Amino acid sequence: MQINLIGPAAALATFLGVWLGHVSVRKIERETVHLWKPTVIAILLSAGFAAASFLTSSMPLSAICGILSVTLLWDALEIAVRQPKRIKHGHAPANPKNPRHARILAEYPEATTIDWLDRDPRGAPYSAAELASIKESAK
Amino acid sequence: MNWFGFWLCLATLFIIGLGFVWVIRGERYFGHLWWPYVMGAGVLCILGSLFISNNWASALLGAFGASLIWGSTELKEQAVRGEIGWYPFNAKKILPPFVEVIKKWKAPSL
Repeated sequence: MQINLIGPAAALATFLGVWLGHVSVRKIERETVHLWKPTVIAILLSAGFAAASFLTSSMPLSAICGILSVTLLWDALEIAVRQPKRIKHGHAPANPKNPRHARILAEYPEATTIDWLDRDPRGAPYSAAELASIKESAK
Repeated sequence: MNWFGFWLCLATLFIIGLGFVWVIRGERYFGHLWWPYVMGAGVLCILGSLFISNNWASALLGAFGASLIWGSTELKEQAVRGEIGWYPFNAKKILPPFVEVIKKWKAPSL
């Protein structure tokens, strides 16, 4: 039986693309004041990987480059649009040291510095009073 | 021109998008404690992809396996999202076999 490396290559690229995207988007959006810079970098990297996937004759390499290309394009969308929206809705913690986030904290009542997801599931829903108390304790 | 990577990236985008859906639905009806089974299924998919000679089938199975592993690490956060009211909460979840053992393990989160 012959071993086919394309599957593990696609798996590695998918996992790395999603994982690095997930972690780095949060970090970059949190620290950056002007989001257009990392957005443009992600788009350019995506285009570079897309070009490499077209130009290489190696199937595993084409798979890796193609997948990284699309995950980077998604990261650009996350940095520019989706993560700032989460900050405004309080679904991701704002960084008060970042002037852009400080403005969001001032303008949007739902925005918070609390990382709501940094807790273990407890198996029961939180009441409105419990949520308000958690939010109050962070002030 | 090698179009394999291009078409694969579109298929992977669909697989990753599907991941968002099954993580939300799966956590709602089954709960986050299924994570070891989901992660195991992902590992099996990737190992299985090694032995498939067809490039497309191997690549899709590999990408799907990786999305299962990623999804298994998202289940814990999704459970919290349900508990704090961002998603509907279902109290009557179908719990996995060996649930008491799994409860003692720390659920992974990226």
